[in-house]
Amino acid sequence: MENLFELLFKYRPLVFEQADFAFAAPISFRTWLGIAGLIAASAVATYTIARGKSTVTDRGVMAGLRVALLATLVFCLMQPALSLSTVVPQQNFVGVLMDDSRSMQLEGDDGTVRSSFYSEAFTPEESPLLQALSERFALRFFRFSDVARRVDGLEEMTFNGTHTNLANALDAARAELSGVPLSGLVMVTDGADTGERPLTEAIVPLQAAGVPVFTVGLGEESLEPDIELGRVELPRRVLQGSTLMVDVVVTQNGFRPGTAVPIIIEDDTRILTEETVELGADGEPVVARIGIELPEAGARRVRFSIPSQAGERVDRNNARNAWVDVVGEREKILYFEGEPRWEVKFMRRAVSGDENLQLVLLQRTAESKFLRLEVSDSTELEFGFPTTREELYRYRALVIGSVEASFFTHDQLQMIADFVSERGGGLLFLGGLSAFAEGGWAGTPVEEVMPVILGEPSRGEFGYFSEIEVMPTPAGYAHPAVQLDAEPLELQERWEALPPLTVVNPLTEVRPGATVLLNGDRTEGGPRQVVLAYQRYGRGVSIALTAQDTWLWQMHADVPLEDQSHESFWKQMLRWLVDGVPDPVVASSAEEEVEPGETVALTASVRDSTFIDVNDATVLARVTGPSGLTEEIPLEWTVEEDGAYAGSYRPTQQGDYEVEIVAMRQGAPLGSAITYLHSAPSDREFFGAARRTQLLQRIAEDTGGQYYTPETVSRLPEDITISGAGVTLTEELDLWDMPALFLLMLLLMGAEWGYRRIRGLV
Amino acid sequence: MTQQAPQLSPQADRSIFSDPRGPYLPPDELRRTAGRFPFYWTRAMYSGNGWRGGSWAVDFPKSDQQFLIVIKRLVRLNAYDWENPVGLWDPDLRRFPLIYMLEVGGMNLTEVEVEGLRSYMEAGGFVIVDDFWGPREWDIFMYNIRRVFPGKAIVDIDLDHPIYSAYYNIEEVVQVPAVNNVYQRTECYGCFPQVKGMYDDDGRLMMMINFNTDLGDAWEWAEDPRYPLDLSTYAYQMGANMIVYAMTH
Repeated sequence: MENLFELLFKYRPLVFEQADFAFAAPISFRTWLGIAGLIAASAVATYTIARGKSTVTDRGVMAGLRVALLATLVFCLMQPALSLSTVVPQQNFVGVLMDDSRSMQLEGDDGTVRSSFYSEAFTPEESPLLQALSERFALRFFRFSDVARRVDGLEEMTFNGTHTNLANALDAARAELSGVPLSGLVMVTDGADTGERPLTEAIVPLQAAGVPVFTVGLGEESLEPDIELGRVELPRRVLQGSTLMVDVVVTQNGFRPGTAVPIIIEDDTRILTEETVELGADGEPVVARIGIELPEAGARRVRFSIPSQAGERVDRNNARNAWVDVVGEREKILYFEGEPRWEVKFMRRAVSGDENLQLVLLQRTAESKFLRLEVSDSTELEFGFPTTREELYRYRALVIGSVEASFFTHDQLQMIADFVSERGGGLLFLGGLSAFAEGGWAGTPVEEVMPVILGEPSRGEFGYFSEIEVMPTPAGYAHPAVQLDAEPLELQERWEALPPLTVVNPLTEVRPGATVLLNGDRTEGGPRQVVLAYQRYGRGVSIALTAQDTWLWQMHADVPLEDQSHESFWKQMLRWLVDGVPDPVVASSAEEEVEPGETVALTASVRDSTFIDVNDATVLARVTGPSGLTEEIPLEWTVEEDGAYAGSYRPTQQGDYEVEIVAMRQGAPLGSAITYLHSAPSDREFFGAARRTQLLQRIAEDTGGQYYTPETVSRLPEDITISGAGVTLTEELDLWDMPALFLLMLLLMGAEWGYRRIRGLV
Repeated sequence: MTQQAPQLSPQADRSIFSDPRGPYLPPDELRRTAGRFPFYWTRAMYSGNGWRGGSWAVDFPKSDQQFLIVIKRLVRLNAYDWENPVGLWDPDLRRFPLIYMLEVGGMNLTEVEVEGLRSYMEAGGFVIVDDFWGPREWDIFMYNIRRVFPGKAIVDIDLDHPIYSAYYNIEEVVQVPAVNNVYQRTECYGCFPQVKGMYDDDGRLMMMINFNTDLGDAWEWAEDPRYPLDLSTYAYQMGANMIVYAMTH
């Protein structure tokens, strides 16, 4: 199509896009317009005067055709031309960026590897592309994976890079060539970017500098047949004995949808579980939710893998690893109850055997009289509910039972809200006569923390009371907190078998962004009660459990004595409540798996005991490698964010690394945290390794360049020439001799003659 | 004596009284709306010997009503203001996790009641036993309780047990006599007060046995000038402790 265009219009469409249109004749446009008018008038007059046997229509048609022919002729006489900026030969530079990552080793359908393009295109003796570029530009070659480096020849390419970071590569090449007239960058890659940085960060400076990027896409847009274990989502820190719910995202191309494949989950010593997942349609990810149990405390690497399937093109994208820190500590939860209630007894019984939960009870038994149970020492909570942040923030989670809001001071209410938003703690509200709207919580600082919307408090002699049948919502069926330790297929049956509960707080709506896990159908009908809902609030999570007597799931005569639903429910609820609650110091690494010799960013967020960000801490990362040697890496405050510290580490050996981050202020410890690294050859490059045409097109379009495939790349030298970047001169390209104009005139003449023949006017 | 099924006396129309207490719910309504109140002082009805419907009904309902009036002033207990008798055979018993059972020296449980009491306690229900005296009544009680839990030990609850400090600090177990025996302060000579208990397999107290003492009479006659104030005070302290403990452990 483009060739036909060039045949008719003399130049390629890109030339028309880049150039400005002008008339080169030395007479003004108005004069030409006048001449054209005269000619047209005489032509019309000729046809009007010489009538013969023609009709008015005949004369109109013929006059029109003649005027069009004369207009075309006048257009040509005006010498139309394109004014185009072209680079001055050998005065400009072009940077050629060549992808040196491992995905270049992938073979195409025809058995040729992606990297073979380089030897075809950039070998001096053989390549017309290289010759054409060299004739016009001074070329600078770069190889890139995570960063770009200058190379002198193809022999320096290794195709062993573990990342493809397009943004870093563009930045580095632009910086390197910033001092020379640059006509453009040529990026030859599959576009399978594995970098974390947004590409925009690299494109904007290129736009500002007027440097077009010409992208050449290698490889196939779809690798078939192939299964990819795309992503694994799981909490990085869990309490010992918890069931870990893992989402494994699996995508396939080229296999039959519905094909069942196994997912094997194992740690260093044993297979933890094996589940089957049915593949989705081509390119559509399916999420397998798998529960695994990690009974022993300690950090471990968990591997998720799908065995290689028959005929699979790439099997190095079938496995993922993730670190999980199984914590054997006792997590402290404060349960504040405003009056003696049976929920207290049965909740405590349910979790009494859980060695990882310390449910500290503070129960108001009379005005200003409190019962304390499970406290660590005699001073804990001796004056009732905490009055300082330091005291409250010792707990990882807070349960508020049936207690009216007016019990608390305004500061305490604000502290409760901050407990969730700033400390990142879990907060659970229980239903009861003095809970929610009935307890006067509307209008307090805590109200907006609640995931449910409070209405008017119910009135009347007894207030509101209703019996409800509780069932999970679709979101609930997938949530670990309401699994009751049941097999997935038995879960619905288990919930249906549980006796109804009662509510005294009518709550039917949740806040935007909140998720409902349990609903309740009232036995007398009416709107559905929200029984269990949660929302993220700041750094923490807040949960509302609006029923007042879950103990019925233990005591009710319809519940068999051996039934453990109540115990399971509360264990899972309270474990969920403390799940992911941060310590004052939080450590993380940019990646959990790196190659030996690769640099990994270490970050820490540091807060004091009241969870206020600390910017003047001394933060050290103590990295203990596989050999047992410990190195100390200082982390510096990033300045960009309060309490954020960063540093980097380069592991040199293969194996596991423990990174303990220790924060001090003025000699006093603020806290410490541990994260883990694994250093080994990486398969990262084989995930999402198909050519990303859209991404490469976007880079080209956003910078004023062009996108090519190996089949169309021969046009590249000429396109850079007319890109207008670098040292240029203006060239005028005549258009009057375009074949299209000649054809148009022939067509108009022929049309008039043909009309005359048809109408018998010859 | 022959086994006698428990019976309830006809109820008075309480709506005609001007009573500071909360509304009284007819038994059917009370059952239907069980849970409306966080706490119901529940008296266990059981088969046995005695007058006025059986030994379960001794001091009923005045003792229960009086107990609720006072206990609600002492403890922040959101309780239903009226008595709540429920049979051991009744599945609804499991909606009330604490039951009060007295005069068990006249107890003669049916098989259904044995099964009901066993499942109640195994599910987590807490039983307060009171007002039985001497070896004969102890044996009768033990005979019945062995039918419920043949192998479970009944042990002393010593003063270092947290139940004695759950609300009030109680430093001595006191013998509380019936209203007619306030002068001799006992119902049988040589009987000294004992507090015993039965624990479940996980070591949780599920039955508290007040033997050779009559807390119920002290609750019932606390307003009577003839009844010693120190004894009724002690009885209410024990009542508060037993309730707070049962509702938290």
